[in-house]
Amino acid sequence: MIDFHVHPVQVAELTDLDPELEHAVRDVFGLYVKPQPIATLLGQMEEAGIDQAVILPLDCSTEHKCTVISNEQVAWLCERYEQLVGFASVDPRDPSASERLEHAVRQQGLRGLKLDPALQRFDLDSREHAFPVYERAAELQIPVLIHCGMSFAPRGRSSAAHPLALEEVAAELPGLRIVIAHFGWPWVTEALMLALKFPNVSLDTSVLYSGTPADSIRHVMSDLIGLEVIDRSLSNQVVFGSNYPRVDPKRMVAGIRSLDLPAALERNIFHENAARLLAGPGGGAR
Amino acid sequence: MKSVLERIAIQTQHDTELINVGKLVRSAVESSAIADGVVYVTTLHTTTGITVNEELPDVEDDIVAMLRRLVPDAGPYRHARFLASDGQMAVNAPSHLRSALLGMQVALPLAGGELVMGQRQTIYFVELDGPLNREFVVHVLGNAG
Repeated sequence: MIDFHVHPVQVAELTDLDPELEHAVRDVFGLYVKPQPIATLLGQMEEAGIDQAVILPLDCSTEHKCTVISNEQVAWLCERYEQLVGFASVDPRDPSASERLEHAVRQQGLRGLKLDPALQRFDLDSREHAFPVYERAAELQIPVLIHCGMSFAPRGRSSAAHPLALEEVAAELPGLRIVIAHFGWPWVTEALMLALKFPNVSLDTSVLYSGTPADSIRHVMSDLIGLEVIDRSLSNQVVFGSNYPRVDPKRMVAGIRSLDLPAALERNIFHENAARLLAGPGGGAR
Repeated sequence: MKSVLERIAIQTQHDTELINVGKLVRSAVESSAIADGVVYVTTLHTTTGITVNEELPDVEDDIVAMLRRLVPDAGPYRHARFLASDGQMAVNAPSHLRSALLGMQVALPLAGGELVMGQRQTIYFVELDGPLNREFVVHVLGNAG
């Protein structure tokens, strides 16, 4: 099983080495609980049955003068724990963003790109800032996970994260593999439309707003989208993501399992679709 | 009267597990140099418990099964929402309720430097929402021997 959406913001081994990180995690990302040893993240994965987790940094240099986990910190963790797959983050408003992305992939071994327009405050369809980064990601043949929908981060602005702004991107760059996070909630219909229209657009399951994970997942996947729509049209375009540590992976896994999906679809969501995104074509430097 | 308090951290491995902490408690008691008095073992969390029972795998299984039967994983719990003060989803109502059933503390007599316990009694730290790094305290009150 692969978890496509993990923020290593609670890892004590990182905050111990970088005191600035605690400020970024609290005041920018908005997580106020005590750091935990890496053993907790690995244990949470094992308890949930997760073999691999994609860990995500976030470069907020322009807007917030910090990184909420840097590419270097992600690479450091991935060197030590084979269960972890590292993505890069670059700030699209940084003129050197594309070069930094190429460095992260080619030199640091990172295997995808994470963007969060709500926190990084850039326009998803900006020709000046965003498209050069998308184009470089397409050239590098790496997937791009993009936060869409509500941002729980105190400094996040959800209005910058409307998935419809990705229509032009998906249309113009069919070789760019885009993953819309959180089903784009509350703009689920728009995110669904993009995934139905564009085979290079996938959705991750990390939808959280109220109730238990099982409640949220059932409401979005069953009531709003329809399990038959997912099975017939999107069986290759939904990936499991937990959004740890906003929520426990074990409860997100249980939430998906509670849908009683056809076995092949459940396997695609839990493993196959993410494995395909990570593996190819040219899904990374290692 | 002397008072010595020691905080002890443990890394739990599973969502729910009973962990024998008797050696850790006895080590803290020995370090306190208090021989006669009372020992309080107290968890610092609201989704764990401290209890005493017999260390047999079947008894441990039955305790876990009882907790799950009395407090099912799914239910109409109100504690199921985003908790802004944590920045996390608060979706662990069953863990809190199971903790409420077990209790947060046990008190044990201390005499002649030894815990006064029955032959079959084991002190358990009970994880109810793991895996996590957890803490409990051993507070020894009494007089040196």
